[in-house]
Amino acid sequence: MDPPPRQPAPSPSPFPRLEVLDRSAAHTFARPAKLINDGPDVAHFLTSKAYRDIGTFVMQLNRALCPRSKTQPTDSAGIESFTLGAGRERDPEPVARLRQLLQRVEAFVDEAPPDPGPRRFGNVSFRTWHTLLDQRADALLREFLPRRVLEFPSTSAGAIAAELRAGEEGGEEQGEAGPLDEVKAYFLGSFGSAQRLDYGTGHELSFLAFLGCLWKLGAFESEAADSERALEDVERSIVLGVMEPYLQVIRRLILTYTLEPAGSHGVWGLDDHSFLPYIFGSAQLTRPIGEGSGEAMPLEGSLPAAPRPADVAKADAAFDRLRRDNMYFSAVGFIRDVKTGPFWEHSPILFDVSGIRDGWGKINKGMVKMFNAEVLSKFPVVQHFRFGALFSWDQDPDAPAPAQSVHMANQPASAIATPPAAAPPPVAAAAGAAGIAAPWAQATRMPPGTGGGPGIPYSKAPWASRGVGGGAGGSSAVPPLPRGGPPDTGPLPPTSFPKGVPGKANNQFAVTKAPWAKD
Amino acid sequence: MSDLDRAIAQLRACRPIPEAEVRELCHKARELLIEEGNVVTVTAPVTICGDIHGQFHDLMELFRVGGDVPDTNYLFMGDFVDRGFYSLESFLLLLCLKVRYPDRMTLIRGNHESRQITTVYGFYDECLRKYGSANVWRYCCDVFDYLALGAIVLGASNTLSPSGDGEAQGSEEDIEIEVCNADGQIMSQFPRQPRGAGNSINRQPPRGRSPNGPTSNGVGPSGTAGGGAATGGAGGAVGLPTNTGPPGSGASGSSGGSIGNPAGAVLCVHGGLSPLIDMVDKIRLLDRKQEVPHEGAMCDLLWSDPDEIDGWGLSPRGAGFLFGADIVKVFNYKNDLSLIARAHQLVMEGFKEMFDTSIVTVWSAPNYCYRCGNVAALLELSEDEGGLGIFARSNGDVNRSDGGLIGGGSGVPGSGPRGVLMENDLASLKPGPARRYRVFQAAPQDSRGMPAKKPVADYFL
Repeated sequence: MDPPPRQPAPSPSPFPRLEVLDRSAAHTFARPAKLINDGPDVAHFLTSKAYRDIGTFVMQLNRALCPRSKTQPTDSAGIESFTLGAGRERDPEPVARLRQLLQRVEAFVDEAPPDPGPRRFGNVSFRTWHTLLDQRADALLREFLPRRVLEFPSTSAGAIAAELRAGEEGGEEQGEAGPLDEVKAYFLGSFGSAQRLDYGTGHELSFLAFLGCLWKLGAFESEAADSERALEDVERSIVLGVMEPYLQVIRRLILTYTLEPAGSHGVWGLDDHSFLPYIFGSAQLTRPIGEGSGEAMPLEGSLPAAPRPADVAKADAAFDRLRRDNMYFSAVGFIRDVKTGPFWEHSPILFDVSGIRDGWGKINKGMVKMFNAEVLSKFPVVQHFRFGALFSWDQDPDAPAPAQSVHMANQPASAIATPPAAAPPPVAAAAGAAGIAAPWAQATRMPPGTGGGPGIPYSKAPWASRGVGGGAGGSSAVPPLPRGGPPDTGPLPPTSFPKGVPGKANNQFAVTKAPWAKD
Repeated sequence: MSDLDRAIAQLRACRPIPEAEVRELCHKARELLIEEGNVVTVTAPVTICGDIHGQFHDLMELFRVGGDVPDTNYLFMGDFVDRGFYSLESFLLLLCLKVRYPDRMTLIRGNHESRQITTVYGFYDECLRKYGSANVWRYCCDVFDYLALGAIVLGASNTLSPSGDGEAQGSEEDIEIEVCNADGQIMSQFPRQPRGAGNSINRQPPRGRSPNGPTSNGVGPSGTAGGGAATGGAGGAVGLPTNTGPPGSGASGSSGGSIGNPAGAVLCVHGGLSPLIDMVDKIRLLDRKQEVPHEGAMCDLLWSDPDEIDGWGLSPRGAGFLFGADIVKVFNYKNDLSLIARAHQLVMEGFKEMFDTSIVTVWSAPNYCYRCGNVAALLELSEDEGGLGIFARSNGDVNRSDGGLIGGGSGVPGSGPRGVLMENDLASLKPGPARRYRVFQAAPQDSRGMPAKKPVADYFL
C-alpha cells in the first residue's frame, strides 16, 4: 500500500515524525543564520537536514488532518473529520499557550495604529509594530513557551542560566546559544518584513519552523500523549489551534498595514501571501483513512459530504460557513475580502484547482508538490530561511543525489531564448518538461555581452526533483509548471502618493522590486 | 480585411491570436521598432498613458475614455505586461495597433518588458498557460528588446483644446490643468498661474528650486544654452522660439528648423532619470537592443523614481535610483523640457504632479491587482496651433490658441475647484503645456466572460 520508496527507507515508519530530541543528553544550540546567499545554495538546501525536517513536519501534520474512519469499510457514520473552531478547549496546554502568545502579538496592533498620513506604501507603522515584537519577543517566549523548551539541556553551561535571567538584555548575543535563541529566530521571522513592509510564504515557512523547533524540543510531549491517536490529536491542534490563529493574525496585519505580497506572480500565483492553509485545508477534506490503520494519505477522493472543489469559486452562504470550518476556504475567503473582480480572473490558479474532479485528496497531493516546487525550491522565498542546530544546514545523509534536474542539465546558461523550439506543451515526461521548463535558470541571466551586473542570485535555482519528505507518495520530478509561491524579493517598496490621499486601505501594493536585489 | 485587421478584431474581443500569427506580428513589429531611435519624437496632440499590467478590460475602457486608435494619437509608457490576467492580449493588441498605425501609436519600454521580470511577475506563466509553450513569451521578449526607451513630445500647446464635452468651460486659454471624468465631464480646472506673481493662498516656496530654474515672469530665456528655462513654457515662447532644434537634441536647425515649443518639450520615460544621463542626447547613444541590464543608464530610465529628497538616493526597489526635485529641475532646464511624464508608480488618483509640476506620474491601471482601489488616468496634451502650422491636426478647432504668447498672466490664482492636485503643488505651478487628465475607473466586470474550462496544472495531474 505504501508508495515504494525510491531510496532505501531511512525511517522504519512509513510516516515519520519529526524527531523529538533526547533530553537525557545536552544539546548544542546555535543562533540560526542565513546561509542561502546564492542560487546554488538552494541546491544544497534541498539536500539538507533542514529541508528533510520541514518536509517531514509538513507531511506529519498533513496526515494528521486527514479524516479518520473508525469502521471498515468506511461508512459515513463512523467518520471523524477535523474542522476549525470546534474543540479548541481540549487543546493541550502548550497549544493553548501558543494561542495566547499570538493574541498578545496581535494586540500590538492597538499600540501601533496605522499611520493616517499620506502613505507611500505599506503602512510605516508596521515598523513600530515589528519593533514591539522584537523588543518583547524574549519575554513573551519565556512567558508562553513550556519550561521544558526553555530549559532544554544545553551544552552551553551558561545558557540555561541565561535563559532564566529573564529580562536581562544585551548579554544574549554574546554567549553561547541556548534553545531560546533558536526558537526566537524563527518566531521573529514569521511576521513579515519590517524593512520591506511585506509578507509572503517565506515568513509563513518561518512560523512552521518555529513550531517544528518546539516539536523537536518536546514542547508538545506529555505522558498522556504517547499513543498514536494522542500524537495525532496534538498534531491537529498544532495546525487548527495554532497555525490557523497565526494566519488570522497575519491577515489582520496585512489589512491593518497594507502589507504587500512579498513578490508576486500577479494573478498567476496561488495566493499573494500564503500557501500552507491550502495544504492543510485540503487535507481536512480528503477521503478518510482508517483510524490507526497505517494507511497512507489518500491521493484522491474526498470526505463524504465534503464541499465540492468547485464551491471554492462560489461566494454564497455555504461558503461563509465553510470558511469557518476549513483552512482552505478560510484562505480563499480572505482573498475574496481583499479583491474585487471575477474570482477566476484574480485567482486563476485556485479557480483551475476548483475544477479538479478527483477530490480533495488529489488537490492535497498537488498542493504538497507545488509547495515543494514553488516555496521550498525558490531562491527568493527560501533565501531568508535561517539554519541552526534544530533546522540544520548539514547534509542529510539519506538525501538523494543532488537534484540536478533535467531543467538544469538541459539548459545551458546562455540559452536565454533557445529552449527547444518544438517542445511540446506541458507533459510530465522529462524531455518535454525540459522544453517548457520555466526559464528562471536562463532567463534570469543577463544576455551575453551586456557586461557586468551582479550575479543573479537564483539563476540556477533548481527545481527539486524529489518529493517532500517521507510518505508523500509524490512523484519524483516536480513538474515545472510555473506557479507562484510568491518570490520574496527585494527591499522596500517605494512611491510617492498624492498628498492627501483618501484613507483607502489598500493603496500600495505590488511595487515591482528587482529580483536580483539581495538583502 | 487584412490579416492584421483580423488579428486586431480578435484581440479586441480579448481572444489570443494563434502562435504563428504572434510570431509574424512580432517579426513585423521588430522591423518597425528597429527603425525608431531610443528617444522617439512625437508631436502633439498626444494622449500619454502609464502602466497597463495586463488589465485588458481596463485598457478597453482607456480607449473608450481617451478615444480609439487611430483617431487618438497614443503614447504608452511601458509595463504592458505582468500581474494581470490578460498581459498577452493587452500587449499583442497594442503591438498590432502599433504595426497597423505606426504613427498613431508609440510604445516605450517599461521595466516589466524584460525576460527576467516577466518570469517573476507573471507574464511568462501566462504565456505558458495560454499556449502551452514558452514560444510566444519568447517572441514577445524579443520585441521588448527593440522598444524605445523614451519619447519627446513636441508642439504641445499651453492651452487646452476643447474637451469634446459641451460643458461650459470658461476661458480655456486660462486653463493649465483640467481634470475630466470618464464621461468627459470636467471635474476640476486649474488656471495657469504666473510664475513669480503675487502669491495666492497657500502658496509656498517650492522645494529645492533649481538655481537655474525659474526665470522672472514672462521673460523668455532667449538663447541661453539649451534654449529654454527650466520649465520653458510660456516664457520661452515669447517672441517665438529661439531654439529651433528638437529639444533634448541640443541641436538647432534640424527638422527644418521650424519646430518650436511654446510650451516646452515633454520627455516621456517609464521610470525616471539616471545619474549617468544629464542630456537627452545621451539616451540616444545607448545600445538599447538588449535585455534590461541590472544597472546603468538604461536600467535607471526604466526603474528610477522621483522622491522628496535632495539629489540622488538608493532605490528601495533594488534597481534604479531615487531622484529629487533639484535633479529634475536641472535636467529639464538643460534639456529645454517643461515636463517629464513617467509612470512606474501606483498613484491612487491616477496621476500626480510633483516638484512644481516639473514631473508627473501617470498611472493607467485602475484597481491595480484587483485590490488597490485606485483610479487610473491618461494625460492629453493638445497640439499647438500658434502659427507654426507644421503639425498634423486632429481637429478643426481654431482661435483657441494664443500662439504661445499667453505669458501666463491671466490666471486667476486660487480660483477653481481643488481636485487631486494639492495646494502645495498647485501653488507653484509653472507654465508648461496645458494638461488634461482623464480619470477613469476599472471596467465593469459583467462584461467579462467566464472561461469554459479549468485546465489542470501539472502539479495536480
